[in-house]
Amino acid sequence: MPPPDSPPRQVLCLLVLALLLRPSLASGGGGGGGGGGELAYLWPLPAEFTAGGDTLSVDPALALVVGGNGGGSRIVKDAFDRYKSIIFQHSGVFSIFNALRKRASGYDIGRLRIVVRSGNEELQLGVDESYTLLVTKSDGKSIIGEATIEANTVYGALRGLETFSQLCTFDYSTKSVLVRQAPWYIRDEPRFAYRGLLLDTSRHYYPVDVIKHILDSMSFAKLNVLHWHMVDSQSFPLEVPTYPKLWQGAYTKWERYTVEDAYEIVNFAKNRGIHVMAEVDVPGHAESWGKGYPELWPSSSCREPLDVSKSSTFDLISGLLSDIRKIFPFELFHLGGDEVNTDCWTSTTHVKQWLQNHNMTGKDAYKYFVIRAQEIAISKNWTPVNWEETFNAFPQSLNPKTIVHNWLGAGVCPKAVAKGFKCIFSNQGVWYLDHLDVPWDQVYTAEPLEGISDASKQKLVIGGEVCMWGETADTSNVQQTIWPRAAAAAERLWSRRDATSAGDVNTTALPRLNHFRCLLNGRGVQAAPVTNQYPRSPSRGPGSCYGQ
Amino acid sequence: MPPPDSPPRQVLCLVVPALLLLLLRPTLASGGGGGGELAYLWPLPAEFTTGGDTLSVDPALALVVGGDGGGSRIVKDAFDRYKSIIFQHSGVFSIFNALRKRASGYDIGRLRIVVRSGNEELQLGVDESYTLLVTKSDGKSIIGEATIEANTVYGALRGLETFSQLCTFEYSTKSVLVRQAPWYIHDEPRFAYRGLLLDTSRHYYPVDVIKHILDSMSFAKLNVLHWHMVDSQSFPLEVPTYPKLWQGAYTKWERYTVEDAYEIVNFAKSRGIHVMAEVDVPGHAESWGKGYPELWPSSSCKEPLDVSKNSTFDLISGLLSDMRKIFPFELFHLGGDEVNTDCWTSTTHVKQWLQSHNMTGKDAYKYFVIRAQEIAISKNWTPVNWEETFNAFPQSLSPKTVVHNWLGAGVCPKAVAKGFKCIFSNQGFWYLDHLDVPWDQVYTAEPLEGISDASQQKLVIGGEVCMWGETADTSNVQQTIWPRAAAAAERLWSRRDATSAGDVNTTALPRLHYFRCLLNGRGVQAAPVTNQYARSPPKGPGSCYDQ
Repeated sequence: MPPPDSPPRQVLCLLVLALLLRPSLASGGGGGGGGGGELAYLWPLPAEFTAGGDTLSVDPALALVVGGNGGGSRIVKDAFDRYKSIIFQHSGVFSIFNALRKRASGYDIGRLRIVVRSGNEELQLGVDESYTLLVTKSDGKSIIGEATIEANTVYGALRGLETFSQLCTFDYSTKSVLVRQAPWYIRDEPRFAYRGLLLDTSRHYYPVDVIKHILDSMSFAKLNVLHWHMVDSQSFPLEVPTYPKLWQGAYTKWERYTVEDAYEIVNFAKNRGIHVMAEVDVPGHAESWGKGYPELWPSSSCREPLDVSKSSTFDLISGLLSDIRKIFPFELFHLGGDEVNTDCWTSTTHVKQWLQNHNMTGKDAYKYFVIRAQEIAISKNWTPVNWEETFNAFPQSLNPKTIVHNWLGAGVCPKAVAKGFKCIFSNQGVWYLDHLDVPWDQVYTAEPLEGISDASKQKLVIGGEVCMWGETADTSNVQQTIWPRAAAAAERLWSRRDATSAGDVNTTALPRLNHFRCLLNGRGVQAAPVTNQYPRSPSRGPGSCYGQ
Repeated sequence: MPPPDSPPRQVLCLVVPALLLLLLRPTLASGGGGGGELAYLWPLPAEFTTGGDTLSVDPALALVVGGDGGGSRIVKDAFDRYKSIIFQHSGVFSIFNALRKRASGYDIGRLRIVVRSGNEELQLGVDESYTLLVTKSDGKSIIGEATIEANTVYGALRGLETFSQLCTFEYSTKSVLVRQAPWYIHDEPRFAYRGLLLDTSRHYYPVDVIKHILDSMSFAKLNVLHWHMVDSQSFPLEVPTYPKLWQGAYTKWERYTVEDAYEIVNFAKSRGIHVMAEVDVPGHAESWGKGYPELWPSSSCKEPLDVSKNSTFDLISGLLSDMRKIFPFELFHLGGDEVNTDCWTSTTHVKQWLQSHNMTGKDAYKYFVIRAQEIAISKNWTPVNWEETFNAFPQSLSPKTVVHNWLGAGVCPKAVAKGFKCIFSNQGFWYLDHLDVPWDQVYTAEPLEGISDASQQKLVIGGEVCMWGETADTSNVQQTIWPRAAAAAERLWSRRDATSAGDVNTTALPRLHYFRCLLNGRGVQAAPVTNQYARSPPKGPGSCYDQ
């Protein structure tokens, strides 16, 4: 395999040839976003692209042709079928009027060729998501014209399929699917390996189908990590076979996830190239655990953080992590560690006694708990992720593998990477989706590498994540709160910094984001109006989706 | 066919022994609002009895059909849909499952659906009754089964919905169970017309979103999508005879092709839902003139449609001819509301025409509505008009007219007294864009209020909740429709005594909470039930069942 940064050779040859042969009307890599020429209505913007002036028609009977060691993958076939039904959602209906219309004699694009170099379908952080997409008129040699996606992995092919689907638009006058501004030559790869969305199933329970719907919508924006904040103080919906009373902490007996549900979510996500990073937030956000196991509470009147003084607390964490390790293959695991108030420890007699015996303050015990939980996670072959308070409080004690998850404010990732830690950017001022006073452009312009100039340190920022905390988001409004702002962050994380940072975002990005919001609506995703002062507020009056 | 009110004979044969069985065994709950445990069904069936057994349902549940209509594609497709709803939790491979003891057998292995009639025509008043029996196997048969019997496929669809609501996923055994069995349900709707208005002019809804709404309607047994297709703001529909009409769409991407409209009608039919199209003339039609400016009285005064030109009515006739091919439902809505005739009386050539015909603006309004009615009737449609037409000129309306109430209370009583049919949509309760109306006011609104004569009551064909689209788009439309539309749906489906007796906070609210969570589980964005303003976010963390 070539290193992930270099494009596959075969594709490169095609690309170079294509660029030499014809003048382009628009070109990518910053130029396509900000510069002159027509806007490319793609979201997120590809790394490099050139467009032309042709309009090509796409056959509703579009056939899949595969190549390469990974081309025969079920993941590719399933994705092709999904995208085909998205692309042709308007067509193919019998109509008495259709009979009166002249059928086009042929289509420019009859086949989609997907070449996947590697047969390895392991979905690890940093998996090669690059792809090349060519959409050109038939050269005349072949009877059937085709579009081509080439990628090193099936996950790159998925990204290419999404981009291809965004090139295809339904033309109402001819009732056919067209690719405008062809020929398209696109070479694309993500800027960051980690492009996440946090979903909080403790403050409100989301049915499995709702989570699947969110995963689908993530794939449309090329987000690739679902950070599943599974449990918290309010409820514990997950089944844990080794500790079967834990999910007694669910709100009701109907608001729970079985082990099978969790597997299904992980598999559904994998089919869309999305990692699922589970979180078990210890010790501060865990009151609900004690519904089934009250001994985890310092006392029945003082229930958080988890009792640090008992070995059985850590035995349970170990058993819990063993069970969920089987479900979640992703190498990262989130241990939380935020907002720990140690009052219950220092005020409950037996814990206070234990602290004294071990010569610890509350703060020492907080560190002790987090480190011991990290050791458990590492022993199960996980890389621990912790919220930034752990780094802010005891950076020297954290395991060097730790990934620091920023949230409180700016400037944390620069400090973390300076000490050699990896970092995830989620500055709450811009990337907490429950903050309803943050407009789309503030989400868009937030820069994960701000304050980090050294290239080797920049590499330690693995990406960023928008956080959908669930206090006031339930099934009725969660998609509306996520979208369209999550898309603003998604482009920041996928596209080149120069493309997303140059020029006036109201001309380079806003028209494309309006378009993408309507695309989401067309795919059944409840994305809210883009420019309302408060996100997820209703449209102010009648009007076009494209203008609201 | 038996008259719609009497239960089908064959079904009766099953019900009678079942009722005998009831005499033999004590029941824990019985239907119609009385005492005992609540039946978590929405809307409440007409008659039902329950028991104390818990039955398991086989994830490989098989469909067995009978009767002339049992082999219908509609039945098979619906069974497949409901099967995936009922078993959405099950059937996933798991390394843990291997460690679990599998149940040796299931109580319900088959669902038998008997449909007496092979006629799939979906007309107003089509027989939607059904009988549903869910009992333990009597021991004679190896495989236990549940049975739905109906006169039409549409009754079978209603029975499938009810069956799906009886099935709950039990997390401790990871199986689907029917509690409170045996269930004997005989059900039929109180009103033939149970509608939801969707306004695709103020905001465009993609076809998939409309399908999602149709699916959700079927869960509440609503059966009419009143498609308010076009209005002043936009004209999204393709009209082959007048191909410039959809130039009135907001954008070239916010349109419905003829094929889209067919697909919506077919999708609805397979869920037993009529689609009643509306073309609201003459007052709500400014967008028509984008493609045909001659429809405007003048370029500065664009509404109502120009009454003075024959070409206006030629266009309406062509439009209705095109639409007649798409919409088989016998009712067609001609609007007729909120007509301000100032443009007529102030535009020179129209004013001239009024004078030469010796008409006032009000006369011309009547003239327009009646002429539009005649066009619709000539195309074999029954016209529906908003109540202003009835309020203004009841004597002139075609006697076939269905009067659509909206402005306030008391209109249906007046309309039925004059022999018109009526649809109840009092805006004070059943306009879903009125966000300050809580669920219980929606629930207790009574379409027959003020009508005591039984023959006149029969003229109220039902009611409709209206989802006007000024502030509802794809992002929030389902959240604005649900759960309040469900409150109206039970009022329209269930018996008046069941929905009107007792304290709704104990008879209905717990079931509505439950139904809202059921909708959420099926991917419908139903909002919290008891928030002060509809579609507002939950106030804080908590269970769906409490919010």
